[in-house]
Amino acid sequence: MPDVIFKVSLQELCAQEGITETMVIEVVEHGIAEPLAGDHCHDWVFESNSVHWMKKAIRLYHDLEIDWVSISMVIDLLQQKDTLLKENARLKNQLERFVNSQYE
Amino acid sequence: MEFKDYYALLGVEPDADTKTIKTAYRKLARKYHPDVNPDKGAEDKFKEVAEAYSVLKNTERRADYDELYRNGGRSHQGFEPPPGWQGGASSAGQQSSADFSDFFNSIFGQRGGGFQGYSDFDQRAERGQDIEVELPVFLEDIISDASKTIEYTIPVHENGQAKRIHKKLKVKIPKGVCDCERVRLKGQGGTGQASAPSGDLYLHIRIVPHPMFDIQGHDLMMTLPIAPWEAVLGTKVTLPTLSGKINLSVPPNSQFGQKLRLKGKGLPTKTGSGDLYVIFKIVIPATTTDASKALWQTLSEASAFDPRAQWEKQNA
Repeated sequence: MPDVIFKVSLQELCAQEGITETMVIEVVEHGIAEPLAGDHCHDWVFESNSVHWMKKAIRLYHDLEIDWVSISMVIDLLQQKDTLLKENARLKNQLERFVNSQYE
Repeated sequence: MEFKDYYALLGVEPDADTKTIKTAYRKLARKYHPDVNPDKGAEDKFKEVAEAYSVLKNTERRADYDELYRNGGRSHQGFEPPPGWQGGASSAGQQSSADFSDFFNSIFGQRGGGFQGYSDFDQRAERGQDIEVELPVFLEDIISDASKTIEYTIPVHENGQAKRIHKKLKVKIPKGVCDCERVRLKGQGGTGQASAPSGDLYLHIRIVPHPMFDIQGHDLMMTLPIAPWEAVLGTKVTLPTLSGKINLSVPPNSQFGQKLRLKGKGLPTKTGSGDLYVIFKIVIPATTTDASKALWQTLSEASAFDPRAQWEKQNA
């Protein structure tokens, strides 16, 4: 059974995702992802969860030809949207439990 | 093969200048980019637009395309490049054009180069593709070290041919994982070309809605129905939790919507456990006998309670 991993190193990210070190530095400098550990960029380690957003940011950078500031705003809004959708679904469920007698 | 009218795809005239083409592309890319538009079909539309732009933004490639365009490429029902056609002057790019149409490849070759688009940006160095798969898990799976079998398809390269194969994999659900988290399985993605490494598999954990619990991070919420007299007098209830039944004391004078926190009875985290919140819901019996009606009547006459005192103040 393969091991589930929660981390990705900078080297793995660059070798495996077709992402350059320069792009990762931009992504970090613009607050799109934050390294979990590593003082120097060569030692950076990221959460596997943030790879999804980093890849998204780099795709948008290439495809929409927009600057990193705009991309960080887009990513931030997309993340906020995800959080709100999740919260909305949970609150709707909770409300259903309060008003609907099938949960009694 | 169908001739692709790249000008029409971008909605520009054939004599449009580079700036107009760029503006048209940006507008459509913003609209259809699959990272911002989740609609079905947006990704295909974006790929078409990206392909059109990758040709029209490049002077040499556009000249090659225009030659075919002017020479009636559009009028052919089934387009074939002219015999001996050797377009694609710019073939030095590193990016794979695997996702471009056959039409594009017939004009510019398999390695059109220069385009850094959505579909191919992460295929540099011929490494296998990363795959992201949604993995629905039950709440019970998270606390019990369960393993799940996942099925997905991966792109593989065999004898220079790209195809997709079906893959099955048994995975142990990691302890402490939470809803919407993405975890990584190294080397379980698409295979690389030649001896290049395989890509990774990312599992996007989605917790299936539970009939009894709602999830907030690692905390669980449960709505507990209680009778009005239980709310007033307090009671003891046997409560189902994920780790078995527990006895809960409902304190006297509990209110509708009041929360009780049971420490450590939530979902496991990487270092400990979340909490379980029990929320009281006061339920009035649907049918009332004459005897109980009389008791309610006695209570209503004896009580000076005004439930709308605050409410009236607020609405005054």
